[in-house]
Amino acid sequence: MRLRPLRTLVALAAACAVVAVPAAEPAFAQNPRVDGAKKEGKVVWYTSLALLSAEKVAKLFEAAYPGVKVEVHRTGSQRILQRVMQELQAGIKIVDVIHTSDAGHFVLLKEKKLLAAYTPAGVERFPAGFKDRDGFHYGLRATVNVIAYNTKVVPAAEAPKTWTDLLDPRWKGKLVTAHPGYSGVTATHVLALVHLLGWDYFKQLAQNRPMIVQSAADPPGVVASGERPVAANGGDYTFYQVKKKGNPVEIVYPREGVPLVVSPTAITVFAPHPSAARLFTDFTFSREVQQVLADSEGLYTGHPDVKYPADKPRLGDLKLLMTDPEELEKRNEEIKGRFVEFFGA
Amino acid sequence: MPGISLRGLVKRYGQVGAVDGLDLEVAPGELVSLLGPSGCGKTTTLRLVAGFLSPDAGEIVVGERRLSAPGAVVPPERRRMAMIFQSYALWPHMTVAQNVGYGLRVRGGLGRAEREARVREVLARVQLAGYGSRYPGELSGGQQQRVAVARALVVEPEILLLDEPLSNLDANLREEMRFEIRRLHETFAITTLYVTHDQAEAMVISDRIAVLERGRVAQLGTAHDIFERPRTRFVAEFIGRTNLIDGIAESADTIVCGTVRLRVASGGLKPGQPAALSIRPHAMALTAVMAPGALAGDIRRASYLGDAVDYEVALEGSPIVLRITTPPSAPLGPGARVGVSIPPEACVPLAGSIQ
Amino acid sequence: MTARAAARLATLDRSLPVWLLAALILVVLMVLPLGWLAWLSVAGERGPTLAHYARVFGDVPLRRAVWNTIVLAFWSGAASVAVGAPLAWLTARTDLPWARALRALTLASFVTPPFLGAFAWVMLAGPNAGLLNRTWRGLTGGEAPLVNIFTMPGLIFVVALYTFPYVYVIIANTLELVASDLEEAGAILGAGRLTVALTITLPLVAPAIASGFVLSVLQALALFGSPAILALPAGFHTITTQIWSFFQYPPKVEMAAAFSMPLLVATALLLWLQRRVLGRRGYAAVGGRGGQRRRIALGAWRYPALAGCLLVMTCSVFLPYGVLAKAAFARAWAQPLTWDNLTLANWTFTFLEYSSTRDAIVNTMELAVLTATAGAVLAALLAYVTNRRLVRGSQALGFLAVAPVVVPGVVFAVALFIAYTRPPLVLYGTLAILFVAYLTKEMPVGYAQSDATFKAIQPDLEEAGRILGAGRLRVLREITAPLARGGIIAAWCFVFIGVIRELSASIILFTPNTKVMSVVMFDLKEEGQFGAIAVLGLFMLAMTLATVAFVQRVAGRDVLGARE
Repeated sequence: MRLRPLRTLVALAAACAVVAVPAAEPAFAQNPRVDGAKKEGKVVWYTSLALLSAEKVAKLFEAAYPGVKVEVHRTGSQRILQRVMQELQAGIKIVDVIHTSDAGHFVLLKEKKLLAAYTPAGVERFPAGFKDRDGFHYGLRATVNVIAYNTKVVPAAEAPKTWTDLLDPRWKGKLVTAHPGYSGVTATHVLALVHLLGWDYFKQLAQNRPMIVQSAADPPGVVASGERPVAANGGDYTFYQVKKKGNPVEIVYPREGVPLVVSPTAITVFAPHPSAARLFTDFTFSREVQQVLADSEGLYTGHPDVKYPADKPRLGDLKLLMTDPEELEKRNEEIKGRFVEFFGA
Repeated sequence: MPGISLRGLVKRYGQVGAVDGLDLEVAPGELVSLLGPSGCGKTTTLRLVAGFLSPDAGEIVVGERRLSAPGAVVPPERRRMAMIFQSYALWPHMTVAQNVGYGLRVRGGLGRAEREARVREVLARVQLAGYGSRYPGELSGGQQQRVAVARALVVEPEILLLDEPLSNLDANLREEMRFEIRRLHETFAITTLYVTHDQAEAMVISDRIAVLERGRVAQLGTAHDIFERPRTRFVAEFIGRTNLIDGIAESADTIVCGTVRLRVASGGLKPGQPAALSIRPHAMALTAVMAPGALAGDIRRASYLGDAVDYEVALEGSPIVLRITTPPSAPLGPGARVGVSIPPEACVPLAGSIQ
Repeated sequence: MTARAAARLATLDRSLPVWLLAALILVVLMVLPLGWLAWLSVAGERGPTLAHYARVFGDVPLRRAVWNTIVLAFWSGAASVAVGAPLAWLTARTDLPWARALRALTLASFVTPPFLGAFAWVMLAGPNAGLLNRTWRGLTGGEAPLVNIFTMPGLIFVVALYTFPYVYVIIANTLELVASDLEEAGAILGAGRLTVALTITLPLVAPAIASGFVLSVLQALALFGSPAILALPAGFHTITTQIWSFFQYPPKVEMAAAFSMPLLVATALLLWLQRRVLGRRGYAAVGGRGGQRRRIALGAWRYPALAGCLLVMTCSVFLPYGVLAKAAFARAWAQPLTWDNLTLANWTFTFLEYSSTRDAIVNTMELAVLTATAGAVLAALLAYVTNRRLVRGSQALGFLAVAPVVVPGVVFAVALFIAYTRPPLVLYGTLAILFVAYLTKEMPVGYAQSDATFKAIQPDLEEAGRILGAGRLRVLREITAPLARGGIIAAWCFVFIGVIRELSASIILFTPNTKVMSVVMFDLKEEGQFGAIAVLGLFMLAMTLATVAFVQRVAGRDVLGARE
């Protein structure tokens, strides 16, 4: 059989895809946990952190601990929960560390006894909102939901300043929103605004026929391209990154308050790579990584020593809209259901 | 060199019996044609002999070996036969030499050099020396035909089967190949079954002809037997053109049809019973109206054919219309009144008419 | 062993093992999954219930999804016929210039995964940022977009762009069989060119048109990617996207099962209808095989017709791949491609930084090669057995091989998910479940190709080998296999291409360790990573084209089945 061209193709594909990471000096070569992690070889991370940010964290870890790979599976918060539960139903246990932006998930996972209690080094000094009182999950990062607009299309003076400004019919066909059925950031956002303005707000917002995308990381791209000039929500860190790349995007922190989204992380009780999972979790809470999240990714963190870029507002200066994880968990179905009811998909 | 015996062979497709109680003996070294119209079961019979089909009843015996019986069929590859197909069935992915040498290779027992020598030899015999490295697609129809012949002969089969091998050739080549096949048979004298629907072909090639009708042998005999003494209406009509006359036997050697009386040389008719005769068109002659012993008639139609004239003549005093072929001297036109002379030897009674 | 016993062994029942194996495969591939699907759709806490159906069809938004699907499928089918039929006639029967190139371009749109096309059209015809709309605004100075792809007509347009090749193939192949003398017989009687086309050619290919319509309707019914990319942002669902969203946590698998049923029934019904249409006036009616074919002169219409064809190709091939190439090398796809905007970052990210890429490529290739190989071998064996009638009831085997046609990918995936996430066979989470899904889904295509191959090999060729002394297996090896090689390799490639572009079943069956390229691209799309999708899309195209080029070389004819 003349299959040779095909085989060459496979080899080529593999060659293209092989990642060549320069080996770094082992940081803690003596640590028995590092040895354990190396023996395990990898850590499997289900994360809703925006793809580029997640891959950056993974590469940092791999550079610090050569020999331990991070398998990044990035998707929306809700999809992560769906995956974890589907896999467990089939008896598949592959995930070590779960990180989503829907704090309600961790209430559920803890209740189902799927989380291992583990307190990462150095989190004692984090604010209370970042810590589970039973020690199962901790907030890795935080962001706030904001409005953003394309400065080429919308003059600053005309830009919406508040959430209710978005209801103005002049924004009809000009908005984009992420989906709470996919994104934890957006689910949290919806719950916070339901408390602030009621479901009626979303019913009216739907009258403006926003474009519906899935991830909260997608609206920045849509606004930057000009496909829709105004984002009705989305994590400020992704807008910040797009803006930093030179795109004509400006962020608005509405006066009524911005929904704060603290995204927890936890190790699963069945983690197939427990040492690597702990090593990785500690690493992500280290000051260095937390500082990277703040600097290049534009995230907020719970780490008290982290310094923020000068062009980002301090969390303390913002009026934060808080949500209760328990309530988020309980009203998950309602949030998704009513959103679909109003927006159609 | 074994012969072939087919005994009570039956092969049904659904309710239809394609072969329906067929008996046939082929003598060692003899070439027998299976002749008949399409659907008479001749190809089915051949495929039964080849072992591609298994019979529903009856048996096939070659020499001492019983090759086929219901539920016990020796597969084709162990029958020591060869076959030439209507389509030639040359393998397009093999060269001529590979095609011809295939049987030798599969049957084993010969070294490579000897095989190649044998292939060269047989290709030379069919006038294809030097064509060994060609592919079948590069050959003409006649050449392909000869490759097929060479492929079958090279294995020196006990039995040779041919399935309408000439039907894909044009008329001239076909005639030439008839003699070629006959010549090859006389050289090798392999016991051969030859399927054809072309009576001229069968007559040239065969030692004996088996005319098949609805899955049975209607008549078996030499070409001369069958042409001159057809036993059934079917055989008479199928082999050459003929005139069939139905009447009543008046005596053992006379038949009456209307006011026409015909004498039958062979005799043996059953007086008072219905009888049927076959009279070949060329066995009669046109004469002057009043010639002795001649019957009177009118020419209905005359077709000039170059080497002969074909007449349609209505006999007086009977519903009989005869076709008569005569040499082309002084053709007569339609409407002419003529005498028809019918020798008693020309009147051949069909089976069922005689005792 | 006596000859008689041996002969009995040989004939007695080779049917038995074949049938046992076929039955087993059938149970694993079809009966078990679809049985579970049907059962789950009526399973209640206390015995069978119609509650799921009541819930599904009582729900207004879900009913709207059904209606959307009907609208989408019907108009996509109609549009495919409107484009595919004239194109086939023009390239097969007229003196249209560049007919060969047009045929090759049709092949290019045939192998384009529909979701990739849909994605490209987002960049082309998004109402505000879409390149076409920007250009339009630049030209007219107006505010309103030229086209908005995020609408039902937009979705129908994009779907039809990638289903019209099905109509094209069927009609072009039928037209090849219509001898010109049939048409000339009409012309001699005094009918004009157009009259001949309408009164003779059209009725002759009418069954092919009906068949092509049904086929493209079925494609549109089963599509997942295009509606997910174009309908969801616009706020509407189709049946497939709705089924998929039933899997969101907490999963409503029973509702997915109940909602799958109308799709299954509709597909079966349409195929039955197609069979009836073809049954009465089959291809056999076309006849006239081998007759001379003379090309009809288009005269003054030659160049306008060419322009029309090129417009279609522009929409289905040039523009989409152009914009994908741009996005692959641009920092910001919506901005002009200036030096500042030019980058290789998308490529380095996709291949060097994005950790899913490598596994997905390896998984995809592994599955494609495995499925294509298993599929081609299985299809070849089945086609051989049915064509040579080796076992009793072999025609039924052939029917079983094409039966999966009635099960849309999403529905089949739901069925597999239900059947194989529970003991005794837990396949979910392994490549095996994707393999099963792909194999079943592609079997009809592979079988049809192999069937045609074996029909073309005269049994005489095998019998000639048998009578010369070679056994069945030896004949199979030395005669049949070499002759069937080209056709079997073509079948291999069809399955291979089908697997590479598969999304609708994969999206439900993948797990993080078993991601395939299409799923990765869909993931990336959900996060708006245009650059990386463009890179992977082009890579996938290169892989596919390399495969197709390979088939053309080996099989010596083009994949659309046309004789050179």
